[in-house]
Formats: sequence, C-alpha cells, structure tokens
Amino acid sequence: MHEFSIASGLVEKLLDFAEKNPDKKIVEIRVAIGEFTQIEEEQLSFCYESIITEMPIAGSRLTIEPILGQVACPHCSYSGLPKYWEGALSGPPVATLECPACGKAAGIIAGEDCSIKSIRYVQRENASVDR
Amino acid sequence: MANEGAVQVMLEASPDEIYDIELEHSLLEANAKLAVENRALLDKNGITAIDFMGAIGSGKTTLITKLVERLKDKFGVAVFNGDATTSNDADAIAKQNVPVVQIATINGCHLDANLVGKGLKRIELENLKMIFIENIGNLICPAEFPLGSKARVVVVSVTEGPWMVRKHPHMFLGSQVVVINKIDLAEAMEVSVDQLIADVHSLKPDIKVIPTSCKRGTGLDEVVDALLAI
Repeated sequence: MHEFSIASGLVEKLLDFAEKNPDKKIVEIRVAIGEFTQIEEEQLSFCYESIITEMPIAGSRLTIEPILGQVACPHCSYSGLPKYWEGALSGPPVATLECPACGKAAGIIAGEDCSIKSIRYVQRENASVDR
Repeated sequence: MANEGAVQVMLEASPDEIYDIELEHSLLEANAKLAVENRALLDKNGITAIDFMGAIGSGKTTLITKLVERLKDKFGVAVFNGDATTSNDADAIAKQNVPVVQIATINGCHLDANLVGKGLKRIELENLKMIFIENIGNLICPAEFPLGSKARVVVVSVTEGPWMVRKHPHMFLGSQVVVINKIDLAEAMEVSVDQLIADVHSLKPDIKVIPTSCKRGTGLDEVVDALLAI
C-alpha cells in the first residue's frame, strides 16, 4: 500500500502550506498521476481522506488528473503515445516500452511522476498578515 | 519573512473568494533525491548495487545466496535484506560470512532510499564491489521507490503460476533483468517458461530474461555474467 506513503508526503506539504498561510483555507488539491506509475487513484484518495480527518486541512478535496504516458524510441526516432498491451488480466490495457513504430525498446519521456499541480483555497475574512 | 512579496500579493485578494495556486511539486521526488545521493556514494566507492524484487517465495534469498557463493572470493560483496518482521533471510545469508544489513520495515511494503541510505552508513564501504539489496516480497509497491541501485532484477518463479507477468506488468518496466526461477518445476506446474519470457518481452523488448533453477544451479552463471556486465 505505497499510496499511504505518497498521501503522507502530500499531506505534509499541505500542512506546511496551511501553516505558512493561516489566512487561506485549502479546499481542493489537484494531483497528477502519470500512467507509468503504479499509483492507484482510489486508494490514494482513500488514504488522503483517512489521514486528514482532524487536521487543519480536513474537508479538502483531492482531485486526481491522469497523465498519459509518452515514449521516445532511440532506434527509429518515434516519439509519442506508448504501445498498449492487452495481456493484463484485469483493468485497462497496460502502457509498454515496446516502440509502436518499430517494435524495439523505447524509453519513457512522460508519465513517470506523481505531483501536486495546484492548491485551491478560500481567502478567509479578517486575515492577518503576521499571525 | 523570505516570501513576503508573494504573500502580500495574495492577501490583496477579497475574502471568501476562491483562488488557485499553480505549482509543480513531485510527490516522488523526496525518495528520488535520496536515491541519487545513495547512487553518488556507491559510485564514489566503486560499488554496483543491485535491487532484487519479487514475490515472497520466488527465491530471492536463495538466488542471492548462490550469487554470493560464486562471487565472494573474487571481490567484496555485501547484502541488504529488507524484511517486514523477521531476520530469517539475513541470518541465512550471514552464513556466507559477508556483511549483511537487515532492514526491518516493520510491516512497510517496500524499501525506500532513506532506509538503504541508513544501511550504507552502517557498513564499511571500502573493499566492497557489489551490494545485493533484497527488497520486500511484493510485486507492486517497490516499483515507485528507486533505491540508488544501478539495476533492478525481478525474480519470478514458475510456482507462482502462469500469470505473474500479466498480473504485475509495471514491475518489469523499470527493471533490467528478469530471473524466471524454479524452472525444474515448470512441467509439474504446467507453466510455460517460453510464455513468461514472451510476456516480459511484450512489455519491454530489451530486458534480459534468464531462466534458472537455483536448486540445480541452472542459469546461475548467466545471471552472474549479466550482473557483472551492468
């Protein structure tokens, strides 16, 4: 359940933001998950919600945006979407490193990360600069 | 306050309105950075670290023991054993009289670069040329956590059935070598080793696949050659 480690890192970052910005209430956080990672959206959301109860960021919503993988081939100079494999036993086809053009080994150029893209907040009334 | 300028701009916003701050903060970066540090330390000492991943019972410990047997008289070898609770694996390898670091993750599902970095501080790096890192018996979680190794090896065995690759495709994308172990039992298990090899190559055409039987010693020289070539 590596999603818990990742959700913990996310919460840590948000608590840091909340502490530095007491005048802002975080309402939503947008996270991008690359296709080449093995991070499961629903589990990440569940971990996030479980961790933030009773924290200053409780009630904030996690929105996940999937990022398509992209590969580049050093053999035939193809660059673009990966070839998908239907062999997986369940779930959608799996992005592979087989070049869709020439069939040799391609390298990943996008879709390997999981990152925070934006934080949405509400400006609190009577905000004070120096709390 | 270092960020006073930026903060003041945001405070001009009207109360109760919604704002977005765009940012790019990788959630995998903290581990990735530590992995780079581990790798730099290993490179500085001329050490090649290899990360072994695979299910519980696939034969990671036995394979590592056999590799240590073959290599320990040639150069310095050490082993890091990741295990959730027990030290069984570390104890088994310690019989080879090489430095062994037991990393107890206390029920954690993967090793991370931080734990491996701590392990590297515990042993004498001088005179070592290779470190074998045995990851936790899990085919999903370790994929997202590079440790600083120069290569990753996935160990699958025919006793896990015919679908190991199809069930855990992601694990193979970031690896350089796949060991298909226990091939002496393939017939009894009615598992096609050729099909497993074809499955792996569908995912990553240039990955090195080596069928082995640790029990009989089949394929082990080829694994040694593959690791020395890394």
